Parts: sequence; structure tokens; C-alpha cells
Amino acid sequence: MKRKIISALLCAAMVGTMLVGCGGSGDGGSGGSSDSGDSGSSGGGDKLVYWSMWSEEEPQAKVIKEAVEKYTADTGVEVDVQFKGRNGQREGLQPALDAKQQIDVFDESVDRVNGSWGSYLLELEDMAKDYEAEHGNATLFTLARLAGGGTLKSIPYQPSIFGFFYNKTLFDKAGISAVPTTWEELDAACAKLKDKGIIPITGDTTYMTSFLGYHLGRHLGQDGVKALVKDPAVADKVESGEIEDVSWDDPRVAEAAKEIEDFASKKYFSENIAANVFPAGQNQEFAPGDAAIILCGSWLPNELKNAVAEDLEWGYFNYPAVKDGKDDASVNHLSNQVLAINKDSKMADQAFELIEYITTGEFDKKMIEEAMCIPTDSANGDAWPTELTEVKTGMEATTGYYDWAVGAENNGDATSVLNESICKLMAGTMTADEFVSTCKSAVGE
Amino acid sequence: MIVGFLAPAVIIFSLVFLYPICRTVIMSFFKIDSVTAATDTWQFVGIGNYQKLFTTDIFKTAMFNIARIWFIGGLIVLIISLLFGVILTSGIRGKKFFRAIIYLPNIVSAVALATMWLQYVYSPKFGLLKSFLDAIGLHELAKTQWTAPEHVFWALLFAYCFGMIGYHMLIWMSGIERISPEYYEAATIDGANKIQQFRYMTLPLLKGVLKTNITMWSVSTAAFFVWSQLFSSVTANKGTIVPVQYMYMNIFGAGNAVTERNAGYGAAIGIILCICIVVIFTICNLLIKDDDLEF
Amino acid sequence: MAKEDKVKTKWNLKKELRLAPGYVVIILWVLFTLILLGWILAASLSTTADIFAGKALEFPTGLHFENYTKAWGDGGVATFFMNSLLYSLVSCALLVVICAPAAYVLARFTFMGNKIIQTGFVSAMGVPITMIVLPLFCVVANMGILNNITASKVTLIFLYVGINIPYTTIFLLTFFANLSRTYEEAAAIDGCPPTRTFWKIMFPMAQSGIITVTIFNFINIWNEYFLSLIFANNDALRPVAVGLYGMLQSMQYTGNWAGMFAAVMIVFLPTFILYLFLSEKIIGGVTGGIKG
Repeated sequence: MKRKIISALLCAAMVGTMLVGCGGSGDGGSGGSSDSGDSGSSGGGDKLVYWSMWSEEEPQAKVIKEAVEKYTADTGVEVDVQFKGRNGQREGLQPALDAKQQIDVFDESVDRVNGSWGSYLLELEDMAKDYEAEHGNATLFTLARLAGGGTLKSIPYQPSIFGFFYNKTLFDKAGISAVPTTWEELDAACAKLKDKGIIPITGDTTYMTSFLGYHLGRHLGQDGVKALVKDPAVADKVESGEIEDVSWDDPRVAEAAKEIEDFASKKYFSENIAANVFPAGQNQEFAPGDAAIILCGSWLPNELKNAVAEDLEWGYFNYPAVKDGKDDASVNHLSNQVLAINKDSKMADQAFELIEYITTGEFDKKMIEEAMCIPTDSANGDAWPTELTEVKTGMEATTGYYDWAVGAENNGDATSVLNESICKLMAGTMTADEFVSTCKSAVGE
Repeated sequence: MIVGFLAPAVIIFSLVFLYPICRTVIMSFFKIDSVTAATDTWQFVGIGNYQKLFTTDIFKTAMFNIARIWFIGGLIVLIISLLFGVILTSGIRGKKFFRAIIYLPNIVSAVALATMWLQYVYSPKFGLLKSFLDAIGLHELAKTQWTAPEHVFWALLFAYCFGMIGYHMLIWMSGIERISPEYYEAATIDGANKIQQFRYMTLPLLKGVLKTNITMWSVSTAAFFVWSQLFSSVTANKGTIVPVQYMYMNIFGAGNAVTERNAGYGAAIGIILCICIVVIFTICNLLIKDDDLEF
Repeated sequence: MAKEDKVKTKWNLKKELRLAPGYVVIILWVLFTLILLGWILAASLSTTADIFAGKALEFPTGLHFENYTKAWGDGGVATFFMNSLLYSLVSCALLVVICAPAAYVLARFTFMGNKIIQTGFVSAMGVPITMIVLPLFCVVANMGILNNITASKVTLIFLYVGINIPYTTIFLLTFFANLSRTYEEAAAIDGCPPTRTFWKIMFPMAQSGIITVTIFNFINIWNEYFLSLIFANNDALRPVAVGLYGMLQSMQYTGNWAGMFAAVMIVFLPTFILYLFLSEKIIGGVTGGIKG
């Protein structure tokens, strides 16, 4: 009995102190900031802490490491780089920021940094003025401002674009001379490929919601897609009529579904399209040259560099326009990684200098070579990797911007059904009508 | 003595678990951006999170999936592992070798195992399953796309069970080995055959271990997550989504799109899972009484 | 000796026949397992292109041991290894010492709160690890411990122990529940105090359970990822699992799947060797100890 009382008392006391301990970080900077001051001074006082989304062995991490070494050699400021990896950053950064750990610089995708961790970002408009003039890529800075709610809170690097990659060798074999720019031309190209016994289109289920999003986006525009999937973030705007409400009964949605169904009935999609769990589609069908077209991001050549057939020549075209659609092929999903500075950082200027080292000049060039990516620094504008030559054309033709999957994944509760349904539609195991009704019930319409 | 023996475990347990658990319970009644957000940013929503969960189709699907994994997978795993445990303790040669090999998949990282199953065993192009079925003449069956939405759940379940059998086999074996061999010798002398020995001696004496096995299986099922994630697209598939995966989506955001985050909602999922475990444990305790046997 | 052998052979003839179905089942399963694990091993020595062409078992371009050298990298693997070993060994030992008595008491005596403690342990296992670890991090970070390496190591070990207490205790319950009370009664008559009776008599009798749970604990802690990821924000603290899983991830992102399988083998081998070591040496040690 005695034991129980003692332990109960102990526990109660502990819970009490802990609640105060953790809640305290919220009630003002007083307790918290002194903590972060401690951790700062214990590290020597002038040590920058940089949490990176890359894993230690990735080429990006290696280039960043070199850039950091050079930075330290030039300025004498030491940098503690923690390569947390994608998941590590996603799971670990927020608690560390909430606990007021000293983290001066961190990176992730532009949407996540500005969306999820927006309240921790230092505004960079003034600091980045010269940088932007000298190195800034106008498109990327537009995107970064868009994500930051109108102001610049993050410095972009590692841009990417999402669209169709194709195997030029196979296109030549099938006698396709120009890349398709409309859905009809894509249809014609696929027919030619099919005649030659080549699988026209493959892909991994991971990216199929993006396929759906793109196709609906061409018909309805991005706001239309968001309204259609009942994205909670635009619910207010749909309510107020600022964004037109689109229902699954809309004839344009039926039309879009019918077009995919048509492709499926012509066997344009790989018979494994619904069974390709990443990376089966890209590695087992596209890389060896069995399939000609794949929907993916511009990181694909880098991911496949160990696996592609010797005669594979890289080509790219933007998602084609559809008949009477709202958007044409000039609207695409562009994204990038960004570096951001913690607003509580005591070394913001040094942090910015470090960012400059990583994203410009010599190390940007190294990044292009090592990770086969698109240049960040506008001064390196001609240094594109040869694999991405046509991506450059596609990117330059882009004037409007979509979110990831054109917003089709923005309603987390519906995504898994949408993904499964589009896969089934493409595999021909579901009709367009069934597809529409399944999706309709998935969003609770 | 009771106090002295129990105190260290209970005190350390309370230090580590009590605060997070209390916090999680409280959190489940709030709308919160991130698990570690300061308490003054929490918005009270009452039982709103729970109400929303029980009206969300995808959560119901996730619960249905996990229930199937628990029940069907549990039957498969516990029966096969018991069978293996009994065979290995029946005095066959090479016991240590067999035991090591059967347990092996459990220590290989799930990432590798899942990749192996997905890209090799289930591959519709050159998969082991396809080659095997072709070899025995079942060409139609060989064409099945195991990872397509229609079959992916069973593909996942089988792959997962394969890895878990060794673990539960070790638990069974540790129970069987505790039964004194003298019992069996006596039984053999009395003319009982192996099957009778199993039915009337091994099984009853293993009741306690069965309880441990069910508890451990339930606990690992509740935390089931990595396999689902590897078998699905970046976010989650309808066929393989499980509650922890859904919770993860709500706490850290889903896939590449930036979706709404609500750690309170995630906490509510955790609480529901926790209640399920407690219910299973309690039912087990009521149904399987092992206090009546001492040996 | 000779006589004993004779008896054994005689037994075997009868026995082997009776066991034949068992042999068939086990051998089939083991073959299946070996094919699957063999494929992983083969893939780790192959190239990414060959793996996805379905030729992992044919080695059309020879054996690629460079996958291993590349995967091993130049990071501080040695430090990570020592850390993992320290965390796992100390935590496992502490867990047995802390949980075995608790399990014994919970299994043996009826007292107020017994069922509550048991249910508490079980429900703790049901709460997702994310909900446990993240708030704890918040508390520990605010205590300012994380700047001191030694203090951080102690904290980590404390957490590994704490996280595994419910599991270990619940696991061991069964093994004490069925022990005959006659041993304790006999010991009491001989004037042996209960604590001594436990350590000298009851503890060794639950050895099969204790060894099994120690193996599981060791592998759990060795492979533990989330807790270490959140708490070990310093290279001097990091265990192997975090580093190696990071490596595994990066191999996927760079499309180096052969390298990923090589990384998997590197992750797996230590646990396998340790498993063999633990299951053989410890079983031998404990049994020997009892007899002696």
C-alpha cells in the first residue's frame, strides 16, 4: 500500500513538472531563448548548425560537405552539418525547433519548409537582395515567394519539373518525329509505338495520382482539381465562391476519365501499370527500353543512371494539352528544395553566407555534375546535364505553376482511393463510370 | 519484497511512459499542429477527433485492414510457428541450424525484405512466384499481378507473416523447452504417441506461452507500419493502409503534397489502438487461465 | 559411453521415421528461406541493371564486391558500432535485472494494483512510439542535457531500458507463472530469504524465457531507429542503425539498388553474428552455471 501511495505521488509530481517544462517553451521566449543561448555557447559560440534533408552518402550531401569545408576555410566559422535524410528531417526537425534547439539553417522541399515550418523562418527579402540580382532564377524566386505567402523566406536550389520522359531511341524506331504537344498527338504517338511492339506508357503507382491530377488539371485548372478532391485548404474559398466548385458529375470530369479509359482500352499503358510498386515501372520497364514514355520528375535520370540500357537517349516533353481544356502545356509542376534560416538564429548573416556557398558558382556546378540536376545559379544557366537537354526546353516553355500532383493529393483522406482507382482505370479493370462514382464517394460527395 | 522487486520497473516505466501517455490522451481532444507544439497553441475540439475518425471512410478501411492482418495473419503465424516449434523440439537433427535459418528473416531489415518480395518474388516479369507456377504448369495463375490493387493485401500479408514466423517460433520453443523431458519419457513409456503427447501434454502446458504469443502478435500488429508503407505508393494504398500509417500522415503530412496536419487527430488514433490492445489482453487473460498449472 | 551411443542409434531409427514429415516440412521452408535470403545476398553482389532485368542470380557481369566498399563509405562507422554495442549490452543487462524480479512478483503474488500494473504495461506497448518519443524529447531538450555527451549517453540508455520495460516484463510473466511453488517452500524451510531464493532458484528456472527475451531485446535495441534518430543529434552518440538506415535510404534515392542490398547485408551481418553468439554462448553459460 505504502509503495502505491509513494509511486502515485512521485508520478503526479513528475507529470506536473513535465507539463510545465514542455508547456513553458510556448509561454514566451524567456525560458526558451536562454536555453538556446546555452546550447549555442557550449558549441563554442560561433558554430553554425545546419540540418540537411540529404543522407550522408548521397552526392548532394558530398557536394554540400565540400562547400561547407570551403566556407569554414574561408571564413573561420565552423559548421556542424547533420545529414538527417528525408524522413529524419520530416520527423525530427519540428520537435527540435519546438524544443528551441540551436538549428541555424535547414532545408527541405519549398512547400514543406514554408508550409509546415513557416513560423520558424527568417524573412530574407533584404538579406537576399544582392544575391537575387546576381544569381537568382526568376521562376524559382517567384515560387519561393508564392510559398512564403508573398515574401521571400527561403532560398531555392535543386529545381525540378514533373512531366513525361521518353526514350528517344524508341521514338525514332517508331518513326515519331516530333514530341506530342496535344492529347491527340500523344494518342497517335502511342499508336505508332504499339505497332512496333513497344509498351507506350509505363509508370509507378507512386506517381499515378499525379497523372490523374495533371489530366484533370488540363481540363479544369488547378483550382478546379482542388475543389474536386475537396482540399480542406480551399474549402473556405469554394464556400465563398472565390473558387468555382467542381463536382464529380461535371461533364469535363467524365470526359477526362473517358480519355484515360480510351488509352487503357487501346492498351497504351503497360499491363503492369497497377502492379508497379516503385521502382518497378521505371527500373524494370523504362530503363531497359521496354517502355517508351514515363511520367516522372526530372530527378529520374539520376535515379536511373545505374540501370538504363546503353542505347537509351533521354527526351522530355510537358504534359500535353487537351481539347477545350482550361490549361495548356505551359502550366506545369515545378518544385525545388530550399534552404531557410531559423528566425531565432544568432548568426543569420553567416548562415546566409553559407547558403550562398552551397547554391552558387562552383558548388552549384558540382551539384549539377554529381547529382545530374538542374542548375540553380542563373550564372550556370548553360551548364545543364545532357540528359536534361529537353527538360530545359520544357522548363523554359513553362509560364504557370501547379502544386504537387496538381493538388490531387491535397485531401489526405481521399488520396489512397483516388490512387487505387486511377491505377485500376489505367489497367482496364475499372470503367470510367465506375471510376467517377468511386472517387465521388471517396471525397464524400 | 514485492515493493523492492517491483519498484525499479514501475518507477522507470512511469518516468518514461506516464507523461507521454497522459499527454497523448489529452492531445486527442485538441487540434494541434505538431506533436511537440506548445500547449497554448492547442485548440480544444472535445471528442471531435474521435467523431471525425469514426465517420472517415479511409480510417474504417485502415481498421478493417489491421483487423484482417491481426486475425488471419495471427492464425497463420501462430499455427505455423507452433508447428515448427514442435518439430524442432521433437529431437530432429540440425535443430540449431534450422532454428537459425527460420529466425533469420526477422532480423533482416524490413526495407530489404519488402524490396525483395516486391521486386523479385511478386514481379510479373521474372518473379519467383511466376517462375514456380509456370514450372508446375499453372500458366494462368502465373499471370496474376500480385501487387495490383486486387491482390496487394494478400501479397503484403503473406510477406509479413513469412518474416514473423521465426520470432513466434522462438517464443513457442522457449516454452516447450521448459517442459521437462521426463514428462515425455514417461508418456512414451505409457504408450502415448507423438500426436497424443502434443494434444494432451504440450498444448495444455503451453497455455501461458500462447497468451504471450497473442499479446506480442497484437502489439506488433498495432505498430504495423513499415511494411504497409513499403507496399504502397508514397502516401498509402487503400488495400494496405493501416491505422499507424494514417496517423503518420496526419502527424507529419502525407507524401509529397503538403496536407493538413493534426497531431491531436493522430493522438486519437493512437488511443484507439491502445484500447484495442488492452481489450485483447483482457479477453486473453479471461479466456486463458494459466494459474491452475504449475510445473 | 559406448552403451549410450548404442541406445541412441536404436532410438534414432524409429525416431527418424516418425519424424520424416517434420523433416520434409522444415527442409522445404528452410529452402524457401534460403532462396529468398540468397537472392538478397546475390543482389548485393550484382548490379542495379541486372537486378531489374531479373538476372540477379546469374551474375552476367561478374561479382561486384565494390558495392560493399562503396556502401561502407568513409563515415565514422567504428564509433557508431561501439555506441550500438554499448547501448545494447548495457540496456539488455539492465532490462533483465529490472524486469525479471518485477515479472516474478506480478506473476506470483496477488496484491492490489497487480492487474493495473500489467494492464498499464500492455497499454503502453499499444501507444505508437511517435507519441512517446517526441514529447519525451521536448522534456529532455528543455532540461539541457543534450549538450553533454556522457549525460546524453546515459539518457539514451535510460530511454532504451524504459521503452523496453513493458515488453520484457510482460514477456517474462508466463515463465514465472507456471513455476512450481514447491521450490520456494523448500527454500523457505531451509531458511533461504525470498530474495536469495529468487536469484538462486527461480531466476535460473526461467532461463529459456530470459534468453529468448534478451535476444529479442538486443536485436530491438541494435536496430532501434526512431528514438535514436530523434535523440542522437551528434555524431559521437549515433548508433549503427541510424547511420546505416540513412545509407540505405540514400542508395534508394540515387537508384543504386545493388548498393542498397549491400548496405542491407552490412546492417544484417552484425545482428546475425550476435544472434548466433547470444543463442549459443549464453544458453551454454547459463545451463552450465545451474549445473555447477
